[in-house]
Amino acid sequence: MATVSEILAHRPLLATIRLTVPAGAARPAPPVGPALGQYRLNLMAFCKDFNARTQKYKPDTPMAVLITAFKDNTFEFTVRSPSVTWYLKKAAGIESGSGRAGHEVASTLTLKHIYEIAKVKQSDPFCQYMSLESISKSIIGTANTMGITVLKELE
Amino acid sequence: MLSSLRVGHFFKHLSRTLISPSSSFTHTYKLFPIIPNLRENHSLIQTIVRRSSTSSDNWTDVSTAPYFSVRIRCRKDGADMLSDALLCFGASSASMDEKDSCESTDEIYISSIFTECQDIGTCISYAADSIGLKERPTYEITKDEQCDWIIKSQESFHPVEITEGLWIVPEWKTPPELKATNIILNPGLAFGTGEHPTTKLCLLLLRSLIKGDEFFLDYGTGSGILGIAALKFGAALSVGVDIDPNAIVCAHMNAALNNIEPGQMQFCVVPTNMVYTFKDGRAYADGDQSPDGLGVLTETEKYDVVIANILLNPLLELAENIIAYAKPGGIVGISGVLTEQLPQIEDRYSEYLEGISVSEIDGWACLSGIKKNTV
Repeated sequence: MATVSEILAHRPLLATIRLTVPAGAARPAPPVGPALGQYRLNLMAFCKDFNARTQKYKPDTPMAVLITAFKDNTFEFTVRSPSVTWYLKKAAGIESGSGRAGHEVASTLTLKHIYEIAKVKQSDPFCQYMSLESISKSIIGTANTMGITVLKELE
Repeated sequence: MLSSLRVGHFFKHLSRTLISPSSSFTHTYKLFPIIPNLRENHSLIQTIVRRSSTSSDNWTDVSTAPYFSVRIRCRKDGADMLSDALLCFGASSASMDEKDSCESTDEIYISSIFTECQDIGTCISYAADSIGLKERPTYEITKDEQCDWIIKSQESFHPVEITEGLWIVPEWKTPPELKATNIILNPGLAFGTGEHPTTKLCLLLLRSLIKGDEFFLDYGTGSGILGIAALKFGAALSVGVDIDPNAIVCAHMNAALNNIEPGQMQFCVVPTNMVYTFKDGRAYADGDQSPDGLGVLTETEKYDVVIANILLNPLLELAENIIAYAKPGGIVGISGVLTEQLPQIEDRYSEYLEGISVSEIDGWACLSGIKKNTV
């Protein structure tokens, strides 16, 4: 009996692979090489495709990739921009969030930062139908859990 | 023809010549512009290996370092979350095989790859903890060598018919059509097997342009496929450049496989941050770079056909460079871009090209035009 994903894809599924690859810099070397090579997938085709599709991101941003490999050695992949926490840490210039969110402030950001992050996130496959406002609210929520305060403007 | 022994030999040398950051390695490529005899490629590769192994006999080079493969056992319903968590805590990748439906267990194996020497056990603990698993799942670590996946990925390369009478054939297979123009390739880890739509687009463009005795520049040569094809179609000279020294080694070997005469094909490694200035019909490298850092690329306006199959961003940045090498009235072909990226290329290059035409396969595009005389 075929699984749901097999029925949708009309092809038998071989494996799912998750990777982090820097934007525009996929090479046939680890992590891409071993992960795809072991399933005999066309490495260079993936690298070229991935690099072309991530040209619009800042070079070397770590992108989360999900590859679906089929038994006939073909594959499809989706690319997501880095997690919201990664963007927040980068914007705030910190290595990790506060250990005690709500009690200890790790850093501060302004609404402008949040808006910029929301714009990038909107091009993610999962966020395309959300309004900038709702994406921003969700980002502010994440910032609060990390101990990052969001202000209207920097004093 | 060439036995599988040769393939293994090639990989052994290739894995030792992969990119290393030490500057003594890049120096070796100054040899290329003055190579006297391509048939001696065997001894050439040995020279490179001897030079590079003295400087980089350590595992700091990521491409040749061994990596760790970990098989983790966990329940099916938490597997996706655990995979994501593993990536957050230091794994380079996490893969899951689809289980055959006849097996009724509810457990699945995640194969994870770790490239850095880190405490794998702790990483798995953190990952399991972050998704709420009560105990650390059982796992097994194996150390793998780079050559395993390199060889496996090569197995997916078959003869490809680009168009009638033009085939790209892997070194270890016999050409299906002996009378056709057959380009024999051993692509190694460089781009260009003929299977990708952009390679096909460029090959078709070349086929229509080369009539005989042209000078051709392959900007971003990869495996050297376009340079070799141009010569087979009748060009007088092909020059292949790339930022990846690996690709140049590969292109050299492929040229030899196709019995290219020494004077017909030249190569050059172009460092990514090289800045050129053009003056009086010649190109000069920036400031403190030596003039022969550019190798064969010192003469501008030399080439009848220039093709650059790379990526959007470098194509936009290097537009002046690429155009400068073409003769006025020469053809410039640009590819490696998605159809949706085409408007940016058109905007940038319409300043220099006229009579622009575009061809597309599968969402990938190739733009070509004639260099304006007034530039």
